[in-house]
Amino acid sequence: MSFLTDKQSLEDLNLLGKYKSNSIYSLFNKTKTSGGEKLLEALFQTPLSDADQINDRSSVFNYFHQQHLVFPFQRENVEAAESYLNEGEEGNFILSVIGILQKKVGNMVLQSAEYGVLLKGLQSMVDLLQDAATFFGQLKQSGDHPFQDKLDKTKLIFKDQRIINLLTEKRIEELSVLKIARYNYLLRSALCKEMRLLFEVLYELDMYIAVSDVARSRGMGYAKALPATKCLLKASGLKHPVLEKAIANSISLNQQENVLFLTGANMAGKSTWMKTIGASIYLAHLGMPLAADSFEFSVMEGIYSSINVPDNLNMGYSHFYAEVLRVKEVAQKVSERKNLLVLFDELFKGTNVKDAYDATLAVSEAFAAYTNCLFVISTHIIEVGEALKERCENIQFKYQPTVMDGLVPRYTYQLKDGITNDRQGMMIIENERILEIIDGSK
Amino acid sequence: MMHFTTDQQTLNDLNIFGKPGSESIFSLFDKTQTRGGSACMQEMFRYPMADVDKINHRVAVLQYYTDSGLMFPFKTELFDVIEQYLENTDERSKLQPKVSSVADKLKGLIAEDPHLKNINAGVKAIQELLGALEIFLGNKSSRQVDVEVDPMRKLLLDADFEGLLKEKKGKGLPYETLAAYDVLLRFRKQSSIRTCLHAIYQLDAYLSIAKLAKERGLCYPVALPADQQEVVLEGVYHPHVKGAIANSLKIDPQGNIIFLTGANMAGKSTLMKSLGIAMYLAHMGFPIAAQKMSFSVRDGIYTSINLPDNLNKGISHFYAEVLRIKKISQELGQNKSLFIIIDELFRGTNVKDAYEATVAITAAFAGKRNCMFVVSTHIMEAGETLKAKCSNIKFVYLPTKMEGSRPVYTYRLESGITEDRHGMIIVNNEGIVELLNKNKPQTLNYEFFNR
Repeated sequence: MSFLTDKQSLEDLNLLGKYKSNSIYSLFNKTKTSGGEKLLEALFQTPLSDADQINDRSSVFNYFHQQHLVFPFQRENVEAAESYLNEGEEGNFILSVIGILQKKVGNMVLQSAEYGVLLKGLQSMVDLLQDAATFFGQLKQSGDHPFQDKLDKTKLIFKDQRIINLLTEKRIEELSVLKIARYNYLLRSALCKEMRLLFEVLYELDMYIAVSDVARSRGMGYAKALPATKCLLKASGLKHPVLEKAIANSISLNQQENVLFLTGANMAGKSTWMKTIGASIYLAHLGMPLAADSFEFSVMEGIYSSINVPDNLNMGYSHFYAEVLRVKEVAQKVSERKNLLVLFDELFKGTNVKDAYDATLAVSEAFAAYTNCLFVISTHIIEVGEALKERCENIQFKYQPTVMDGLVPRYTYQLKDGITNDRQGMMIIENERILEIIDGSK
Repeated sequence: MMHFTTDQQTLNDLNIFGKPGSESIFSLFDKTQTRGGSACMQEMFRYPMADVDKINHRVAVLQYYTDSGLMFPFKTELFDVIEQYLENTDERSKLQPKVSSVADKLKGLIAEDPHLKNINAGVKAIQELLGALEIFLGNKSSRQVDVEVDPMRKLLLDADFEGLLKEKKGKGLPYETLAAYDVLLRFRKQSSIRTCLHAIYQLDAYLSIAKLAKERGLCYPVALPADQQEVVLEGVYHPHVKGAIANSLKIDPQGNIIFLTGANMAGKSTLMKSLGIAMYLAHMGFPIAAQKMSFSVRDGIYTSINLPDNLNKGISHFYAEVLRIKKISQELGQNKSLFIIIDELFRGTNVKDAYEATVAITAAFAGKRNCMFVVSTHIMEAGETLKAKCSNIKFVYLPTKMEGSRPVYTYRLESGITEDRHGMIIVNNEGIVELLNKNKPQTLNYEFFNR
């Protein structure tokens, strides 16, 4: 079963997007080959929905995280070698030799380039095999992860006497036509399957090493997936993966407390914390590393968010209506009893305070009853929090504090328990001395 | 003399100029025939007046043209030719006395001299314009009202132009005659021709306004002295809204603050914009989308209706609102007579702050007896508190009627405070809460987690 989410949620969390420099995908996309890049792209598109699969995947990343390996291949060389292999499969040895001879003659008589191209391709294939032989030779310590099996199989290729012989050759262009034909046949036909495997493993290695390099350099950790029956999210030292200077916070949600109600001033960091939770849960379902000291979660069936609803108050009512429709869409998914993570940031901000108060309260209360889902709801309307406190027991209240340095607000980004009592509104008006200005006394 | 002041935010709120190519109040009035006319229109829009006599004078002129039903009496193509012709004031471009050589004649046969051609076209165009002026000024039915045609008449009566006026039309002028006229028009009389052209452009602009006033049945406002502190509007509506409902409103010293309540779609913003546009146009002496209007002249208008967030600058919506109010307050603090419109104070904060801020700011406004305010809010409690606190606040609202579960809006102003809101009605109509409640899991039923 596939993981449920939608375009808006993916955009809110800035997950995908190869050409967006600050997307989560581009943070990790340090792959060296196009094959590796494609694999990572595919991985990002398909979150897993099984706890064991997730833990298996993250164990592979973790293995490479510990290994400090360098992916030794050059993009150009890998591409040249692969295109050499793909150019043609030789049916049988005799025909292959005849083909090579034809090319050789063509080269001598008609100055045709084909023979030269063949030699170059073969040379880059041999270079690649050389590098691979060294790399797999170093790869001694085997790990307890599902990728080990493939690694072991690949290692066997370099035990093959024919490959060992080939790797003793230094300069391909100096070999006799007959030898060329024999090696050509070996790589393109006799060991065709093994060569396919080799490339497959190379690309996977590229992806694993690239991702785990990022994880290591940023001191990231790995999530522990639990079966879906638990409904749990527990993390400490959790930061936004892209923002290196972000302040870490903890979170703990479970069936008894499945709603996190966030308050705080506008600039206090509510949205960033919501995006951190969303992006981390998504990464966790990919088995990818994430910026946390510890991270435990039960597998969910999807993520829906409403965070970056464009701040266009000029749209006025239609904006409010769009928000209502978005909430309805999520409500439909939730009411299908899916286990979801739902993120609502500043719901109904396009409308007046009173309507926003009513709507946020009603909707939050109705959602809270779904204890199989986790909700993070933020608002600047602190009165909603106070009303919810009295009505629901399964809501956890946290806030992002504002500290006043004299007249200048400063934000700590350290979550605290409770509902904020920042009464910035009147304070700002007093600071700006607006009433005095109107009087003309200032 | 003081100018009528305003700022960019206000112009944007009222959509006075709009984005290029989009509908705006300016584009509504600017149906001018000439480029110069459009520039005159622009000038009037840029500089509304803060002087009773000047405004009433402009009104009288426009009223005259509206009643006259006059059409723009000149060929519009003439003006581009004339402008281009007059542009070149380089002495060296005068036509030189002709040295009749065979070479020159041959040149003339092969290709016309473009410079000569331009001069010829320019002189012809001015000749034609003078002819048209003669007819226009001669035909004018009424001469009592000064309709600002003096510069035109002056030009026509100038003896220097008599000769050109008498030249046969459609006939080529001899080279020497053309050279003489060229010097006359382009150099000696350039400035009086330009003055006349400006008067024609102004006429173009007036006629464009008059035509719209007639087509739409707009009314001309009456400007009153500032110390009368009164605005009376009957049947005012938004000129861009099709089938708009008209409303009447009176602002006077007993109620110089209009406190407007109403639901989201009830038409508060549209009404506030209609008032702002009417006040702005009135200070230009322009016709108004209303049945009747009289107003005490103000020193300026400031609005806060469509405030943009500037999150890139790290300014939250609430802070943006505060800064806007601060800017308006600074203007108020200078003891000017202003017209202020503020739509939905303090959206970007919590209910309590919004309530307190609305009360505090509105009460402070109420102390400014020489200004007029239109303030809208959803916080009806603020209205109740203010009612007890200040005597010079007038409470009006735009009602919502319910047809079953569907809200219907009358767009007709009533007096009082309303509690109508239907953020919840919209949420309820979409059935969100019902949907969630219907499928709600029974109290912590673990059974379905173990599917």
